Amino acid sequence: MRIGLVCPYAFDVPGGVQFHVRDLAEFFTAQGHDVSVLAPVDDGGASLPAYVTSCGRAVPVRYNGSVARLTFGPVTSSRVSRWLEEGDFDVLHLHEPVTPSASLMALWASSEPVVATFHTSNIRSRAMHAANPLLRPSTEKIRARIAVSEEARQTVRRHLGGDAYIIPNGVDTHRFAPDGAVTRWTGTPERPTLAFLGRIDEPRKGLDVVVAAMPAVLDALPGARLVVAGPGDVDEIAESLDPRVRAAAEFLGAVSEDDKVALLRSADLYVAPHTGGESFGIVLVEAMSAGAPVLASDLEAFVAVLGSGPAGRTFPVGDSAALARAVVELVGDPGERQRLSDLGLRRARSFDWGVVAERVMAVYETVIEGADSSPVEPALRAGLLGRLRWPMRGEA
Amino acid sequence: MDILQIATTVALVLLAVAWYLSYSASRLDRLHAKVEGAVSALDAQLVRRAEATLELATSGALDPATSLLLADAASEALERHTHQPLSHDPLEGQTFAGREDTETNLTEVLRAVLQEDTVAALRADVEGVGADGLSRVEASALRVQLARRFHNDAVREVRRVRTKWVVRLFRLAGHAALPHRVDFDDDLPPAVVD
Repeated sequence: MRIGLVCPYAFDVPGGVQFHVRDLAEFFTAQGHDVSVLAPVDDGGASLPAYVTSCGRAVPVRYNGSVARLTFGPVTSSRVSRWLEEGDFDVLHLHEPVTPSASLMALWASSEPVVATFHTSNIRSRAMHAANPLLRPSTEKIRARIAVSEEARQTVRRHLGGDAYIIPNGVDTHRFAPDGAVTRWTGTPERPTLAFLGRIDEPRKGLDVVVAAMPAVLDALPGARLVVAGPGDVDEIAESLDPRVRAAAEFLGAVSEDDKVALLRSADLYVAPHTGGESFGIVLVEAMSAGAPVLASDLEAFVAVLGSGPAGRTFPVGDSAALARAVVELVGDPGERQRLSDLGLRRARSFDWGVVAERVMAVYETVIEGADSSPVEPALRAGLLGRLRWPMRGEA
Repeated sequence: MDILQIATTVALVLLAVAWYLSYSASRLDRLHAKVEGAVSALDAQLVRRAEATLELATSGALDPATSLLLADAASEALERHTHQPLSHDPLEGQTFAGREDTETNLTEVLRAVLQEDTVAALRADVEGVGADGLSRVEASALRVQLARRFHNDAVREVRRVRTKWVVRLFRLAGHAALPHRVDFDDDLPPAVVD
């Protein structure tokens, strides 16, 4: 099958959507499909995978409340058209099709069967309302809508109407599989390790919540270590800490993928105190794949990822006292942690790329089947002249 | 304003109106084509699901009572398909030719039959036909879900555009029948989801 994937954000900048597109592309390529990715690229000379075609430099622009690296304008437009023409795809899979970037332009120019995946849970309604009449004819080309989470699905329903089918984000769970190796983060009964991942200066990742819980944790478990992995200004954070908490905390800064995996594999407890803005919670799936017992805030997205088991413990969002109680209880109960770890490993398997990509392939096949049995489409790309004719009776 | 200017303005306005009508008509036409394609895809997936179920029923991997239940529901679905093939005119059969009940029945029978122990036994039968048959039923049931949702989305879009006054006033929809949603129970048996 010839598959065209379009990513709206700069491919050489790390991000959830970019990783999703990369993993899908590599999975389908490995299965023997012909895959091409179109994406903006920040640094023209960077070493890109062979399957990526650049549609131009990404420009940082303020959109939907944050700065995104997007691409637009006539150069991009002609590159998108050329890529579509040369690719001759059986199916076109666009990510974030209403973000003003490559995906939207590909949607505009496409005549292939289109599948769209919605990732965000916070499309700004003002922009969407203003652009709706403009976008509507294009979004009508989409034959199948996928949302990566229930929240993303609700956003689609609210802003575009209609529905979307939920296929979660995939994780390469094998990469995280526990290997039993002892690392410098492996805890002991006297010095149990709690792992935190995420930018330390971004409030919604919730470092504040876990820091506020630490004094109570240290009262009960004087040896507890809090290992914090994530970029941000360490000095600024460390200065404001209670000295006792400062002594118990270890800031790793930005870590490599290997270190992240090793930390998750060896932590006694993975703590996810996020306070909002998470539409999926991929980090929870990673922690579960690594066999780390999960203690997370009860965000809708997190509860959904943990499933009905549930394969992890939750506490009310932002409630440091409840977090501290749960930490103390879980650290003191190795049997319960083992049970959560086993449940987590099992739960994580349903998010493995093997399972997820198979569902995406089912969507492609359904859509292609529908397109093949549609009556011949009118030549919408015929340009202005092609449209300048009165519809004949029976044609309309 | 002389007569030439007025004539030019009128001509331009008429041209713009004509373009807009033509554009709206082809947009609607495209949406109708999408619904027709989606209905055929759904029909094809339903046939595949019934065939896969029948295959599983006759594979000998299940006990005779279970097999008979499955075969009964599956062959009824296939019969309804052959008696009222959608290919004549998908949109004519306003209510999906009344097949909803039959398909809901097949879904319910699959759910009743594919309990956890049965699924585990079939999956364990890797060498034989059991695991193979089960995975084909699973795959087609998933595709039925997808096809039905995509169809209903397409129906909603057509119906929305057809309520626009331009479309109604100029009868841009022609003689095309108003498509309807297809609603039936297509939930996967809980035992195969995990």
